Amino acid sequence: MSGFDVSERRLTVQLRQPGPIPLDVEFTCDPGDVLAIFGPSGSGKTTILRSIAGLSRPRLASVRSGTETWSDTGADVFAPPHRRAVGFVFQEYALFPHLSAAGNVVTALGHCPREERQSRAEALLAQVHLSGLSSRRPHQLSGGERQRVALARALARQPAVLLLDEPFAAVDRAVRRHLQHDLDEVRRTLDIPVILVTHDFDDVVRLATHVLLLEQGRTVAWGPVATLMSRPDLAWLREGVGLGSVFEAVVSRVQSDRRLAELTFDGGTLLAPDRKIAQGTAVRVRIPAREVILATSPPAGLSLHNVLSATVSAVHVDPASDHGIVQLAIGPSRLLAEVTRDAISALGIVPGQPLHALIKSVSIQTFSAE
Amino acid sequence: MDWTALRVSLWLGAGTIAILLPLGVWFGRWLARRDFPGKALVEALVTVPLVLPPTVLGFYLLVTFGARSPLGQAFQSVAGQSLPFSFAGLLVASAIANIPFVVQPIQRGFEAIPADVLDAASCCGLSPWQRFLRIEVPLAWPGILTAAILTFAHTLGEFGVVLMVGGNLPGETRTLSVAIYDRMQAFDDRSAGVMAATLLVISVVTLMTTTVLSRRVGLRRV
Amino acid sequence: MPSTLLAQRGPTIAAAANLNFALNEIAEQFARERGATVEIVFGASGTLTRQIQDGAPFEMFLAADEEFPNRLSGAGLTRDAGVVYAVGRLVLFAPTGSPLTVDERLDGLTQLMKKGGVTRFAIANPDVAPYGRAAEAVLRKRGLWDALRPQLVMGDTIAQATQFATTGNAVGGLIAYSLVLAPAFGERGTYVVIPESDHPPLRQRMVLLKKAGAVATQFYEYVQSAAARAILRKHGFAVPQ
Repeated sequence: MSGFDVSERRLTVQLRQPGPIPLDVEFTCDPGDVLAIFGPSGSGKTTILRSIAGLSRPRLASVRSGTETWSDTGADVFAPPHRRAVGFVFQEYALFPHLSAAGNVVTALGHCPREERQSRAEALLAQVHLSGLSSRRPHQLSGGERQRVALARALARQPAVLLLDEPFAAVDRAVRRHLQHDLDEVRRTLDIPVILVTHDFDDVVRLATHVLLLEQGRTVAWGPVATLMSRPDLAWLREGVGLGSVFEAVVSRVQSDRRLAELTFDGGTLLAPDRKIAQGTAVRVRIPAREVILATSPPAGLSLHNVLSATVSAVHVDPASDHGIVQLAIGPSRLLAEVTRDAISALGIVPGQPLHALIKSVSIQTFSAE
Repeated sequence: MDWTALRVSLWLGAGTIAILLPLGVWFGRWLARRDFPGKALVEALVTVPLVLPPTVLGFYLLVTFGARSPLGQAFQSVAGQSLPFSFAGLLVASAIANIPFVVQPIQRGFEAIPADVLDAASCCGLSPWQRFLRIEVPLAWPGILTAAILTFAHTLGEFGVVLMVGGNLPGETRTLSVAIYDRMQAFDDRSAGVMAATLLVISVVTLMTTTVLSRRVGLRRV
Repeated sequence: MPSTLLAQRGPTIAAAANLNFALNEIAEQFARERGATVEIVFGASGTLTRQIQDGAPFEMFLAADEEFPNRLSGAGLTRDAGVVYAVGRLVLFAPTGSPLTVDERLDGLTQLMKKGGVTRFAIANPDVAPYGRAAEAVLRKRGLWDALRPQLVMGDTIAQATQFATTGNAVGGLIAYSLVLAPAFGERGTYVVIPESDHPPLRQRMVLLKKAGAVATQFYEYVQSAAARAILRKHGFAVPQ
């Protein structure tokens, strides 16, 4: 990683307009981070990306990439799109239909000496696993291959920011896994801010380091994935995808005889099905809040592998529903449990109370880059 | 066979394309991109020459630029010749008559380019001019080609306006189609027949070229 | 450019369509004798007059009547009032295979009309062609004009009317003697010359236009020479003394 202060390459965005698509957002994204802008369609996600790229001009906009100001409506500064070092992967890829895969990439290599462009394009295509296909035209490529060309083209410009607009919306599940993996790999080598617009929670859990929840152009919540996912009050998120805590862990041991993997996280260990993940792998763990059972004393005679000692850190009761969300502190990590209001009063759950969290191994979701 | 008339016809076709194509690309692209109140009216005006009898166009050109009009006299004093009954006048008439044949296909050509592709070009670092040359023109090419060929074919076949505005001056305004008429009047059916066949062959070849080229372009895109 | 082609050519001369063959022959002989060429554009006298008024670059105009050249000289576009160079004659023509029999008094036509056998009858357009006006006068004199009107097919020039009379499904027409006599016309049918007294004389006047150069002036004089008169006579024109 470079020795520069991250703030010198940080993306700072502030957008505001009453219509036609209302916007009111403010966020930053550091190099190496992946900020997922997550929200229902029509919430203004794409407009945010377009405003960063200079393709849309909101009434009030301030977009800065490191020390460069791209938009500042207050100071009447506006850099046109071609002067902004952005890599933009469009939803439908928007490849140039009259150019080959390599030609598409070469188009974005205007900053390179002419004689180097072809080889650079080939190298970029190889990086996204398209080595043999550089002379194909877009219509001769599959959806996933087009996606990769679009990614290679976006990277060709040596962007200061990578913008991805629903990059996996048009490919099937299996292809999607591969692409997510490639993108994650690319992201690690680039060390630039990456903004990912998606309405698919799977993308968030697999790729994002930070999340911005958007509703009708307004920020509902913004922060690191783990923090945001363990907030008990995001009712909208619960309705949409189901609440669940997310935290980072490492596979500390694989018990192949029991087909279990031991996952160590900041606060304890969990046993989960091994799912062929190698020892030492960094994984992201998601535990759906509905799958967590609370007990006042450690249980006996159950088939459970995971019994974690915890302290109640917050209780959130939604007056509109018969459910309540209990947030538990396990060391510095936060775990959400969704239980009935009846259970909250029966167990007399209040903040500060020690409890035991019971989690079935099979309900633990693990996500790895591999 | 009147070779001079054939040459005048070919020059007229090429000249009309040379004048009209750059204007058509500019205007067609502008129409494809912009939405404004009254756009429908502008588009209708562009189409007017398509339905206008050539004699109407001829009449207005003669009235506007004839030797008896102030504008015609001004033109004559500047250019040293009158606009009607000159090759330049034919060019002007032909350019006006061909506006719809140029603007419409080109406009459709530019409209067919997805907005995302244009945005992608900008995000690849292409300046508006580079984007125009490297992305827009190649993608609008079928429309531009159609415009050029339609104009050429239409110019070769133009008769009414040519006769009215150009007269029938050999080497200047006597095109092949007028020469056919002229030969018919002189009972010279043989020459008229040869020239008619020539025009027929040119027209068929021109249209075949369009079909072949547009198919090739089409294969490129799909 | 085409305009340079024109510069190498001789002066452009506008001529009435009925001169199509006679004037070409005169021009060829002129070229042989004087070594200078002229470009002749044939058309309806009215159309050519209009074009001259609108600035067409003609240097000389040989009309099919006197009215059109007089209009130009009245407008100050000509060198002088010009001269009458020929007097034209009209013929009643019936193409081979037509049911029409031709005679000076148009009795055959009258008969055929009574039988309803006249489908189409060709004349030049009286509005723009002097030969059309002469034809109208002939038909009026015989009292056929109103009855025949629905069947009339009108050519813009007398040459076009002749086309209609010979190649269309017309039973015949009143056309120019000079065209019927042309070798290119061939043996396309029968005809009879209409008496001069049946229509106003087709006195054809020519004028030199203001911009006329030396070659056009020479040609203007040549048309009045004995050699040219002989050719005009051969093509069915009367020539003034």
